[in-house]
Amino acid sequence: MTVTVSASGLTLRYGGTVALDDVALRLEEGITGLLGPNGAGKTTLLRVLATAVPADRGAFTVLGHDPGTAAGRLAVRRTLGYLPQNPGFHPDFTAFAFVDYVAILKELTDRAARHREVRRVLAEVDLADVRGRRIKRLSGGMRQRVALAAALVGDPRFLVLDEPTAGLDPEQRMRFRELITRTGEGRTVLLSTHQTEDVAMLCHRVIVMAGGHVRFEGTPAELTARAAGRVWSSAERDPGARAGWRTGAGAFRNVGDPPEGADLLEPTLEDGYLLTLDDTGAQAVTR
Amino acid sequence: MSGDTNPRQTWHLAEEDLRAYDRGELAPPLLWSADAHLAGCAECRVRLAGLADPAVLDAGWARLDAELDAPRPSLLERLLLRCGVADHTARLLAATPVLRRSWLLAVTAVLVMTVAASDALRQADSPTLFLALAPLLPLAGVALAYGPVCDPAYEMAVVAPLHGFRLVLVRTVAVLAVGLGMNGLATLALPGYGLRALAWLLPALALTATGLALTPRLGAVLAPALTGGGWIALLAVAATGRHGDATLPPFTAAGQGAAAAVAALAVVLLVHLRDRFDFAADRTAPTGGPYGGTP
Repeated sequence: MTVTVSASGLTLRYGGTVALDDVALRLEEGITGLLGPNGAGKTTLLRVLATAVPADRGAFTVLGHDPGTAAGRLAVRRTLGYLPQNPGFHPDFTAFAFVDYVAILKELTDRAARHREVRRVLAEVDLADVRGRRIKRLSGGMRQRVALAAALVGDPRFLVLDEPTAGLDPEQRMRFRELITRTGEGRTVLLSTHQTEDVAMLCHRVIVMAGGHVRFEGTPAELTARAAGRVWSSAERDPGARAGWRTGAGAFRNVGDPPEGADLLEPTLEDGYLLTLDDTGAQAVTR
Repeated sequence: MSGDTNPRQTWHLAEEDLRAYDRGELAPPLLWSADAHLAGCAECRVRLAGLADPAVLDAGWARLDAELDAPRPSLLERLLLRCGVADHTARLLAATPVLRRSWLLAVTAVLVMTVAASDALRQADSPTLFLALAPLLPLAGVALAYGPVCDPAYEMAVVAPLHGFRLVLVRTVAVLAVGLGMNGLATLALPGYGLRALAWLLPALALTATGLALTPRLGAVLAPALTGGGWIALLAVAATGRHGDATLPPFTAAGQGAAAAVAALAVVLLVHLRDRFDFAADRTAPTGGPYGGTP
């Protein structure tokens, strides 16, 4: 499979804080999930890859273009669709007017061609019927879809989505997942999220970040497999467990190093994620 | 035109009349006759479609298609379009917060009050209060036209292929034109001072250019704030050393020359730093409310 993004040694500091520390990764066609706790460096990594901020050190290419040069940066931006963590809207704009505005920023200056493209992307995110409605009158889920439509203008090959499902209710989240699956076909998508379900349902690869480092890179199945034999059930919370919580059935689900003869359970992606963080000392996993 | 051919239709348009109709050259009353006939004759409509240049037809459909969903332009956009500004540039400017009504009303109110106060006091050789304030308005307007604090879609704009410096320039020119125009109108309200009432112009250009030139290094908030603060401090120092009602040094000929030099230097620096506008002014992760960007 073609490597779309290749990065090595990416390092970025905010004052005394190291947000990215020698990050290396490769992204291929398909959806890659980016998991990590708050402050892990996910948004910073996405902003660097989206060319919003330059890294202090390190380099990366997108489809062979080096954003370190002005020409390379322009080429990267022409292949890029970016949905930031807090996509901002001009609240008085309609959905159509806002996407039209972003289309102009993406160099679509011919009015007829631009409007065709705006209609196409709004239809792609199922917003054709509300295209004339002001953004401030749209629900949170619809606003996220407007932002996704804006990211899709110009049919980008590399999509960077920063926590697109945050703040959505379960029904909206499910609809948005369907959209991401659909729009991810034939593209390289980097999807930052706090939700392990997003990764389990959408992604063919997953990267776990903590403390500015990449802690894991592999398939969701490989991340889940990290917790094989390390999840068990008990009537009371096991004090030796790294994490433990009461389930709906009343028993405790423990994650860590099980005692002799423990009642082992089938691990989930979340178990693998929690253990990856805990194994690297990135986060004390207690609930 | 609708419907099939009227079954009682007994005649058809002549070939040369159809061609003239297609070219838009058929004159009344033949034109009215052709219009009425085409409305009821499918055969002649097909013949007319066959005459038309496919490229012209496609372009016509594309134009129609583009208009179907086009949002109704705002007052500002309509004004810009009427002035001959390209539609995509007008849309870029319509997204400039300080070109909106609330900002313009606020600036007008401030100018009216300042002019009234300057005219009422009439103690000094020049309308000092007006001259001190007028350069700050374009500076503030330009600062508020671009940047993560005031442009909710700033993050998307930064990573778009349109060069950041070009967007800054487009908005700066528009905001300056409006700001300087309003200041100019306010100047007309102080005829007693003659040309001395125009002594705000060069400081305004110097402050605006300096604020912009410092933005890549200091950020979109700190740079104009420090520039404006520096201007106020300079005036305060000048006022302290003033003898009687003498004109403050920044508004004398020498002061105007210095302002012109600062403006020129800042423009050179700005051009030199133009690629720095290609990245977010604020390296920290953005935060925002439901519409983003709004503090």
